[in-house]
Amino acid sequence: MATLRYGNFKMAYDSVRSHKGRSALTMLGIIIGVAAAVLVVCAGQGVKNEIAGRLNGFGRDVMSIQPTGNAPYLTGQDVSIVQKTGGVEEVVPLAHVSGNARGDHMVSDPMVIATTTGFPDMVNQPFMYGGFFDDDTPSVVLGANLARKLYTNTDPSGQTLTWRGQNLVVAGVYSNFNAPPFSLESDFDNSMFVSYDLTQKMSGDSLSVYEILARAGNLAEAAAKVHTNLVLAHGGADDVEVSSALSTADQSDDTIHLITMLVMVAALVALVVGGVGVMNVMLVSVTERMHEIGVRKAIGATNQQIMRQFTAEAFVLSTVGSVVGLILACAGVGLMRLYSSIQAVIVWQVLVVAPVVAIVVGVFFGSIPAVKAAHKDPIDALRGLE
Amino acid sequence: MALIELKDVSKIYGFGDATSVALDEVSLTIEAGEFVAVMGPSGSGKSTLMNVIGMLDRPTIGTYHLGGKKVSRLSANRRAKWRRDRIGFIFQSFNLLPRLTVLDNVSLPLVYKGMSVSRRTHKAWDMLERVGLGQRAFYYPRQLSGGQAQSAAIARALVNEPQIIIADEPTGNLDTASSRLVMELLSEVHASGNTIIFVTHNPELTRYATRVVYMQDGMIVHDEQTELGKVGRYARQVMYTVPVASEDDDLAGVSAMMPVLENRGRAEGKKKSARKRKVAKKKAVKK
Repeated sequence: MATLRYGNFKMAYDSVRSHKGRSALTMLGIIIGVAAAVLVVCAGQGVKNEIAGRLNGFGRDVMSIQPTGNAPYLTGQDVSIVQKTGGVEEVVPLAHVSGNARGDHMVSDPMVIATTTGFPDMVNQPFMYGGFFDDDTPSVVLGANLARKLYTNTDPSGQTLTWRGQNLVVAGVYSNFNAPPFSLESDFDNSMFVSYDLTQKMSGDSLSVYEILARAGNLAEAAAKVHTNLVLAHGGADDVEVSSALSTADQSDDTIHLITMLVMVAALVALVVGGVGVMNVMLVSVTERMHEIGVRKAIGATNQQIMRQFTAEAFVLSTVGSVVGLILACAGVGLMRLYSSIQAVIVWQVLVVAPVVAIVVGVFFGSIPAVKAAHKDPIDALRGLE
Repeated sequence: MALIELKDVSKIYGFGDATSVALDEVSLTIEAGEFVAVMGPSGSGKSTLMNVIGMLDRPTIGTYHLGGKKVSRLSANRRAKWRRDRIGFIFQSFNLLPRLTVLDNVSLPLVYKGMSVSRRTHKAWDMLERVGLGQRAFYYPRQLSGGQAQSAAIARALVNEPQIIIADEPTGNLDTASSRLVMELLSEVHASGNTIIFVTHNPELTRYATRVVYMQDGMIVHDEQTELGKVGRYARQVMYTVPVASEDDDLAGVSAMMPVLENRGRAEGKKKSARKRKVAKKKAVKK
């Protein structure tokens, strides 16, 4: 039996090879189907990764508290309220401070954000140079763009920066933030970060906190509590908004999921169309080779053996088509990475699933003509009758 | 016990007005080792008889016993297996598969038997040697002469060691020399114990047969034993078209009613002149 199967595949291979043009056309459907399916899924995954990366950069267990009412800022009191709320593990306030900065060059009134040493853990952002400041020495951390404006050297860490008459040491420079932070008006790449406590001492009064970041184990529950407490503290005025990365991420996950589903359906349709193509060419093949079927039957081929032969041919066609489609798709992914903003990634699951589906579809549709061929009356077939 | 036993076998095509009777209650018994020539005009049911004996077709009515077993009502797949194991077919148009080499063509019946590649290649090669085509194993059928192609087809028919060889006008597409070659090959096969049934229009070829069966209108009209080397007694008188006078013939004119034998006379005349030319050629070569 094994030899017979080998024989079938050899016959199928010979047949495919001796009808190159026709076979290529058959395979075209499968090739396009597989390539489209793989490309679309890979590109989709790339987009998904990018969006997820942006969100993950900000931490999935972090909530953001921002004022929405008439008062543009939160207060130090609000910070301590959030800190005391059950479930909240860490709190990082972000406050706007003014003042000109001078390094090698002068930058007038840059965005200065006063924050605590917990900030880097919240944003998960890699440093280009150095690291975040600690509270021991008066120091500053720069956004990438601001660093370029202030210093001629590419690496300014360790240099002195004068701000509000104070000499601060540059502790580090953040690499470019690829995700906009929660509050869109603050551009971290053009910001400098200074110590919250130090600034508070300098200015003497409460800072203008425009956002509070808080980490909590059970984010949803803690966020609700924080909101309730703040509303209570503000005398019942609902003038704060508590949002979390999780809710945003969930939303975009849903969107991406929907798009992926859509794309999958399109890919599946492409694969089925490819399968129908296989069926058509197999039908033509069966008709053309009626005489051959007759001869094979006359010398003793059973119906099953004829059917297996044509099914094997469909299998060979869909397999070769799938492989070519995969190669094209991988090349497409490479080109996409090089020449477009979509950082497509190769998803190995689809590399397996798409060819398997293509082969199943191809063999299924290919076996319809095969059955037709198998049940031909040998004499009619010998005469070449339809 | 006879090898082949047909009893009141009829084959009817179509129904109603369009009914045509290809075989009309044919009874025929063939013993193992016979070399049977079947003659008769076109449409007399020779090919249908071959198909029934070769189990490509089932009789509409009647019974067929092959080797003592009733095979007239077997399923398509069972018949395929009987064909594979017991019967070798030789066709007028060779019916070699054009995309396979001669060797692959010959080993095809063994493929369907499920034999391993090395064994079937070995066997097919032996068979090709036997028919004198050992040097042509890797040729494609289109690269062979008619005689060689038919020899390859004979090798294919023999490779499964069948008891019965059925040849439907094996020399129909061949010239005289190739016909001789093919018939010599068949008589060698016969000498080694096979039963051969062949259809022919050429009375000369009945010299190879031990028995000649004449058919007309789906019936066996005459059946005689002949000595090897002698032409069947009625072989030369077989009419290849049946002269019937109908309204259509009247309309077609006199030529449609002209006896076929005269035509045959003309054809023989042609053959003679062809032979003469050949002889002349040979002489020219000798010079």
